[in-house]
Amino acid sequence: MRLKSIVASALVALGVAAAPATAQDAKSPLVTTEWLEKNLNDPKLRILEVSVEPGLYERGHIPGAQNVVWTTDLVDKLERDIAKPETFQALVKKLGINSDSTVVLYGDNNNWFAAWGAWVFDVYGVKNVKLLDGGRKKWEADKRPFDTRAVSLEPGNIKITERNTKLRARLADVVDASRSKNAVIVDIRSPDEFSGKIFAPPGSQELSVRAGHVPGAINVPWGKAVAEDGTFKSKEDLKKLYADAGIDGSKPIITYCRIGERSSHTWFLLTKILGYDVKNYDGSWTEYGNTVGVPVVNTAGTVWGVK
Amino acid sequence: MTQGDGIPETRTASPGNRLKTPDHRPASSAFGWSRPTAAIAAALLAALAAVAYILHIQGHPALALSIVFGAIFGVVLQRSRFCFFCMFRDWYDKDDPRGLFGLLVALATGIAGYTLIFGAWLPDAATGRLPPDAFIGPVSVALVAAGFAFGAGMAISGSCVSAHLYRLGEGSPTAPFALLGTVAGFILGFATWNNIYLAAVADAPVLWLPQTLGYAGALIATLVVLAVIAWALSRTSRTVALSSSPASNFPVALLVTRWPAWIGGAIIGALGTVAYFRIAPLGVTAEIGSRARQVASGLGVAPPRLEGLDTLRGCISVAGDALFSRNGAFILALVVASFAAALAAGQFAPAWPRPAQIVRGFAGGILLGWGAMTGLGCTVGTLLSGIMAGALSGWVFAAAVFIGIAVKLSAGRHTGLLPRP
Repeated sequence: MRLKSIVASALVALGVAAAPATAQDAKSPLVTTEWLEKNLNDPKLRILEVSVEPGLYERGHIPGAQNVVWTTDLVDKLERDIAKPETFQALVKKLGINSDSTVVLYGDNNNWFAAWGAWVFDVYGVKNVKLLDGGRKKWEADKRPFDTRAVSLEPGNIKITERNTKLRARLADVVDASRSKNAVIVDIRSPDEFSGKIFAPPGSQELSVRAGHVPGAINVPWGKAVAEDGTFKSKEDLKKLYADAGIDGSKPIITYCRIGERSSHTWFLLTKILGYDVKNYDGSWTEYGNTVGVPVVNTAGTVWGVK
Repeated sequence: MTQGDGIPETRTASPGNRLKTPDHRPASSAFGWSRPTAAIAAALLAALAAVAYILHIQGHPALALSIVFGAIFGVVLQRSRFCFFCMFRDWYDKDDPRGLFGLLVALATGIAGYTLIFGAWLPDAATGRLPPDAFIGPVSVALVAAGFAFGAGMAISGSCVSAHLYRLGEGSPTAPFALLGTVAGFILGFATWNNIYLAAVADAPVLWLPQTLGYAGALIATLVVLAVIAWALSRTSRTVALSSSPASNFPVALLVTRWPAWIGGAIIGALGTVAYFRIAPLGVTAEIGSRARQVASGLGVAPPRLEGLDTLRGCISVAGDALFSRNGAFILALVVASFAAALAAGQFAPAWPRPAQIVRGFAGGILLGWGAMTGLGCTVGTLLSGIMAGALSGWVFAAAVFIGIAVKLSAGRHTGLLPRP
């Protein structure tokens, strides 16, 4: 390891490693802030910010980044669904994404919505989509530069594919997995949401009439997968974390949360870092907990908000 | 100022009167009599700067900047007497348009600054998206009612929320009660919001002028409107000297004499621009609103869910969990800095409140709070920052506010409830 880093330093010193995207980076689903800063001028790189807080992008973003608004760009405004193929095609064209582009997504809130964006990109077959490990928070903590100028790019030429249904669980899949145990269901919400003690985190607009969790679901809060600085833990640590919870990739996995964004974060790491077969259930608890005739487990004993 | 406010002449006079500078000594002794107060003022400002610096190096740059902007705003408000009510009343009672000219300068400066930022953030204004955080609200009957109530509240209590905040720094006996009343008014606003929202606000149009006119069109149209207002004001006003040429003694001009309103306006327009660029548009009621909401929730008098509002970001934010929000830091710095400015100027004059001041402060404050809550902001947020942002809601609120002041002043004086000029 040490020898490797010495050789790498020597190569950097000689200018040999100056070419963008080293072989190691090309395979990884994550890019480091350091790599991103070095590769900002790579013409094949497309950087997209998907943040929740309005005004963050505008007041300063990673140089060259474009703004993607999850509430309007990535979802259908009328149906509760991800963006329609024609909307998404227009979006990626506008963002200047070509078939040979490397797309790096990042955002606030530990990349929740950036991961959600990565999931939507994957559903539509866009290749080479990565997350900036640690997101905005890490970039800022590293004291790397922000820019306030908007970017203009030539329209991209990428053609999206049919939706990949293997990446997305629907209500019926979850009910079926819960009954037949043909898939592991991972609930990534907080233990209090999982037990039914609370219906949603404070300030949440979208609620369900029942609290609790899907029968058979395993609770692994998303935060357990990240280090102090917001980056993902190492592959080995992640593997152990989920193996300890009984999730080793031998069975298909379904992740869910409240509306599907935090679960995308876990979907991303289980799929891209650990290589497991995972579907994200974007209907999540707001759909499941409101559905008539499906069982819930509520160890806290709350029914209609009372005990 | 409504004379019952008990503020000394140097602080209450209209710009015309105030130009007979307060009773300061000759230039050489400008600091002589006020050395201790000037020293305290300097220490206070230095303390604010130190707090901002510490916050900055601890990794809270936005909080640090909020303190800096709040301090600048506080000093400028106090030094230029930038008070929406006084500006209007000076013109209404004394045909003196200088205060309102100051407001027009602030708007023109801010609109130009906002347009520059918009062009960078949203290169195309016609996409249907609105610039983030800007005070662009729905235009409805509720907005008109809110503006009218806010104007009436200003006439009764003697000024708007921002001016009560800087007057708090001057030791005004009315301001504390007006601000208490504002909190009560906010609570009343929360209690009535859901019905008003469903009846009038939910379907009201949100009109952003650059969306229909383009950036250049909106900028030109607004500047033309401001010019027409300026022309109309000058036609209906007496001739007053625009400058007292105070440059002969700069320290006195800076620290003691009232700054010309247009200079205050230009600084506020520039401050509005940089504040929008770095933190959020200028606004003084977000923190008051979120604290009022905590009180209301504690008392159980406000609905736990405010329709449409909990997802709106702007003046009325979601009840803050943070002990020290950005707007809270801004307000705190505003009050401390205006106190420092008043001290240095010899205008810190605390007084015991009289019953009439308590009643009028509180009653006017309730109208201010209800108006600010229902109008989603006050004269600083909805009016000043809103017009700068090219929001039609800013203009509608402004018209309603000034009509509200005029009607209340006229009715109040007619019935003897408000003092005559």
